[in-house]
Amino acid sequence: MHRFLLTLSGLLLFLQSQAQVAEPNNRPWYVPEHVVLQTAGGIGMVAGGVGYALGVHRRFDTDVLVGYVPGRYTGDRAFGIFTLKDTYSPFTLPVASRWQIRPLSVGALINYTPSQMLNRSRDDKYSYKNYYWWGSTVRLGAFVGGRVGYAFDTPAGRKRVASLYYELGTNDLYFVSLLTNTKGLALGKILTLGLGIKLDF
Amino acid sequence: MPAAEQQLTTQNLVRLTSRPKSANDTLRFVFVGDCQRFYDEAEDFVASVNKQRNIDFVIIAGDISDFGLVREMRWVHHRLRKLNVPYLTVIGNHDQVGNGRAVYQSVFGPLNYSFVYGGTKFICLDTNGREHGFQGQVPNLGWLGQQLADTANSRRSIVLCHVPPTDEDFDPALALAYARTIRGSSQLVFHLAGHIHRFTNGQPFHDGVPYLTAYNFRKRRYTVLSVWGRRQFNLETVAYAPAL
Repeated sequence: MHRFLLTLSGLLLFLQSQAQVAEPNNRPWYVPEHVVLQTAGGIGMVAGGVGYALGVHRRFDTDVLVGYVPGRYTGDRAFGIFTLKDTYSPFTLPVASRWQIRPLSVGALINYTPSQMLNRSRDDKYSYKNYYWWGSTVRLGAFVGGRVGYAFDTPAGRKRVASLYYELGTNDLYFVSLLTNTKGLALGKILTLGLGIKLDF
Repeated sequence: MPAAEQQLTTQNLVRLTSRPKSANDTLRFVFVGDCQRFYDEAEDFVASVNKQRNIDFVIIAGDISDFGLVREMRWVHHRLRKLNVPYLTVIGNHDQVGNGRAVYQSVFGPLNYSFVYGGTKFICLDTNGREHGFQGQVPNLGWLGQQLADTANSRRSIVLCHVPPTDEDFDPALALAYARTIRGSSQLVFHLAGHIHRFTNGQPFHDGVPYLTAYNFRKRRYTVLSVWGRRQFNLETVAYAPAL
């Protein structure tokens, strides 16, 4: 067991040493570091946004996205969805000089759909019995995924990474549905697949 | 969403009317409600109904979904489509939460509709007044009155909805007028609803009109209603155990 743990910690140290470290820059802290474009994954048919890579080894991505669901998929008017998403990718595998793989990401998100079309569950309609315990406009989500990145230099000589990622996730209401239906509902039924790209500024 | 999973009410009515039934035959159908988030039970329900003989169709008295999500309605459909007979639904209050109303209209169809089968006119309507803010518009009494008055192709009528008029989620300003409209029909057999998750059979308005409510899926019970003659009916309770 000790041996296993030693091997594991050795591996982790190796992976950490390989993790890409941000070049120092003089940008103000609030200027985002990357742009994101995503399709599906519970945050809109298409969603775009910006984000930051945080932590010493830049393993935490915090992204803010605005998603869009066209009217033909809502049954009426289009939806705008505002999402805050956090992704943690503990390992980076350098597979070639310019390519890097982050084999595992875990993350969580919260989003808000302010559409007037949505029939609110949390107004005082049923307050007499706290009938609807969930919010119809706010969803919580969680996901696992992975990411492949390609490092390149800009014409000005600055290092940048462009990456492609996927996320397999679910939301609070799907998850609750699964909990009480161990036989009648399979995990695969509650999953949502999202695909996206991230590009450093 | 595949076209095969849209406008299910129309699809089921096409299936139903492809097996025409004489008005002189006994009509037999399953009456149950509130399948929201009971997928385990839904599979057992389908297995049980498929063992019954001489069932014409199944009625789900609303609350197909719990959160008004399209995936929920499709999950339910993926189970109920295994029934040997068509099934028909009416919208429940849970089906109207969030984007549910638009979802229900796209997956199932109109919120108010009627059909005639075996000489019996089924009038299915949205009575979820609280979801519409108790603005005096739901249920649509004008439409209900017209439907009850139009008896051209039927000898019996049955009203189906989700929230019964005796419930506090029914628009209180409309409850008595609703009962009066129902009572005005000379060929009404009974009034069917869901929402309260248990079977009841009474005459809450003391006007000779039977008001029935349905078991929800969790009870693992449903009622088989047989209707014949002018307005004779019989009810049987079927209990189904979980599959081992």
